[in-house]
Amino acid sequence: MKSNLIRILSIAAIAAVLLSGGPSPAYAAKIRVVTTLTDLADFSREVGGDLVEVNSLATGVEDTHGVPMKPSFVPIMNRADLLVLVGFDCEHAFLPALLEASKNPRIQIGKPGYVDASVGILPKDVPKSTDHYQGDVHPYGNPHYILDPVLAKTAVGNIYNALAELAPQHQAEFKRNRDAYLAKLDAKIAEWKKQAAPLKGVKFVSYHEHWPYFADRFGMVYFGTIELKPGIDPTPRHIEELISSMKAEHVSIVLREPQFPEKVPSQIAEQTGATLVTLPIMPGGIPNTETYIKMEDAIIHGLLAAEQARENAHAMK
Amino acid sequence: MRAIIALIFVFVFSSCAFAQTTEERLQELEKTMKKQEQSIQELKALQKTVKKQEQTIEEQRKLIEQLTAKTKLAPPPGAPATARAPQTAVAEVQQQVEELKEQVSSVADAQRQTIPSKFNPAIGLVGETIFSYRSQGSEFTGSDRPGGFDVFQRSVELNIAASVDPFAKGYAVINASADPVTGEAAAVVEEAAIQTTSLPCNLELKAGRFFGEFGRLGYIHDHELPFVNRPLVLDQYIGGESMTDGAQLNWLLPIEHYVSLTAGVGDNFGASPNLVAINSNGLTNGEYRPINGLVYFGRGSTSFDLTPDLSLEPGISGLINPHALDRNGEIALPNGTPETLPQYPGSTLTERERSLEGVDFTLSWKPLRSNQFESLIWGTEVLRSGNNYDVLGAGPVFSRYVNSYGMYSYLTYKWSREWSAGFLFEGVENAEDNLNHTFAYSPYITWATSHWNQLRLQYTHTAPNAESGLRPDDAVYLQWAWIIGSHAHGWQQR
Repeated sequence: MKSNLIRILSIAAIAAVLLSGGPSPAYAAKIRVVTTLTDLADFSREVGGDLVEVNSLATGVEDTHGVPMKPSFVPIMNRADLLVLVGFDCEHAFLPALLEASKNPRIQIGKPGYVDASVGILPKDVPKSTDHYQGDVHPYGNPHYILDPVLAKTAVGNIYNALAELAPQHQAEFKRNRDAYLAKLDAKIAEWKKQAAPLKGVKFVSYHEHWPYFADRFGMVYFGTIELKPGIDPTPRHIEELISSMKAEHVSIVLREPQFPEKVPSQIAEQTGATLVTLPIMPGGIPNTETYIKMEDAIIHGLLAAEQARENAHAMK
Repeated sequence: MRAIIALIFVFVFSSCAFAQTTEERLQELEKTMKKQEQSIQELKALQKTVKKQEQTIEEQRKLIEQLTAKTKLAPPPGAPATARAPQTAVAEVQQQVEELKEQVSSVADAQRQTIPSKFNPAIGLVGETIFSYRSQGSEFTGSDRPGGFDVFQRSVELNIAASVDPFAKGYAVINASADPVTGEAAAVVEEAAIQTTSLPCNLELKAGRFFGEFGRLGYIHDHELPFVNRPLVLDQYIGGESMTDGAQLNWLLPIEHYVSLTAGVGDNFGASPNLVAINSNGLTNGEYRPINGLVYFGRGSTSFDLTPDLSLEPGISGLINPHALDRNGEIALPNGTPETLPQYPGSTLTERERSLEGVDFTLSWKPLRSNQFESLIWGTEVLRSGNNYDVLGAGPVFSRYVNSYGMYSYLTYKWSREWSAGFLFEGVENAEDNLNHTFAYSPYITWATSHWNQLRLQYTHTAPNAESGLRPDDAVYLQWAWIIGSHAHGWQQR
């Protein structure tokens, strides 16, 4: 009995030593980057190239504030060298608990591996009060700045800085990659601005407050949200008021993010004569939007198609 | 059971012990010290940066004021036509200045809101009121709440949490609830613990008073349960929430699959069933406490993503109380085998040792796209309680072992951000008398107007058997729970 116990304990001890016997060789091979959302994963791949292995917690179809906390994320975060996040408290619902569970001191707040992509961004809609009367409000301002491609460049720059600091021996390559991607992005921004010219002054509503930065960039008028407050479903009175004010102000587009139910946006579009369009908030949100550039393409084209459809309908009347 | 606990301990401690010599440990300690110094330097640098930012903002403000003053000096509307072009330029500059001013103000506002509170802990308050009707009085339900109509302020719970330093965080949960008999409120420190955040080898140490990790719902606060009441089996075998004064070490295995192991020790665990007698005479505090005068517990859990939307989280838990406080067990015929475990008329039972083992699983369907609006959760936990008694009576003293089983299983379906409903099934054998058992059936529906405001209606039919001496009972509960202030989504609430 005693010898059996000693045997079991010995096996357990050897297994424990083998399991925790230091970092695996893979650590040295590539820089392990974990991002919260898929746009940041795309930027990290563009800047890091073959030198990085990138995992995103979100797949692209989730709500930016509601990525499910899966235990399978924990080992990925445990081994990460960098954690890239949107910032402005965007990930408050899932990231703090995952960070604690990851037990990875390299990526905790304040450490070089904790990369807040919002550094250098001037936030919009910083609330005067953080009382929950305002809903699930973000105390540092609206965190959806990446939908504006000009501000996305700042996020790319922050990722570059973090990679260059972590692996200075590869700085030249990261710089080359960053510059190439920013040049591509600049060319696309010029193209999108030209394409989006007919959208100037076009009024739209969305389900959640995802679009203030995007609207400002392309001259659109962000009229309001279907949600009563961030994270709070609309009440019948709010829907009624929204419909009447949309009619009065000739709001032409109802933008539904695919994470939210279609029923209410569809009803609002029907009753106001606006066009309903479903558009992604991060790469992978709808088919053929695997990269940031493809996603922005889809958004601009989707909005143009919606505006065109409304004009056609108006002309037919 | 002892073997399981021993294995967990060996597993946890051996990894570091075998992997490192004393010299290596010293080197690591030195490295840690250097890192600590570096962290302190970083914090100081951060403070300097914040001060610089404040100065910059102030300078920008002054600049804006100067620019604004200059633009006000520009020619007024209605000036001669020759002045119109410069006037337009001035208007543009004025507009740009206004925009800049707005942007700087927003940043300054954000800083004002965050910096002054930087060193204050996050504070939240939870309130929970239970309105209920029970068809039987407490003498027939065994509950500490009365029968008939009842209103119970079950929780007024203050949560405080903050980083202690770069290496640890601290938190406290202070709960005030009304005494069921006197109605007087009494504040209890439910949790007050320090938890490390930067131990090597994927280790995390917690010490103080906390809810020890045992089972799936044992360490969840009442207001966070998916139904109104704590399952009967947790109430009877653990004594409610798994509160302990002690220490707990958690180890995340350094492999690509999630495996978490926890081992802990405390002076008690939960309440009545797991109280400890200090020595063999069953004496209490103030006397010498041997090593077996403590409670030892452990848990292992893992997870499998069956599909992107479907995951399974199984776990096992164990607890041993080598020196249980005597609860004077009932005279009964355990497991229906009186031949092997005789019971003499007039004899009494003295509880000596107690162990508890559990297996649990949670199957979660959470569609990635719409997980905030739709989900299905199936959670089940089965516990075995083992009580070792000395039988004292007419004959010689001998030991008797009582095995009891209990379980709960629930299914909750969420079909919108606000609404969910489910069903809870429970069955439990009394830990001191396994012929005494109770079943309960509870449908429930929840309306959450937001994350912080929730109403739940539950009907429970409880069916104890004749051995228990209790009567079948029907109850309706309306729970209203709310939160103000800070509320973090902890790892347990996933």
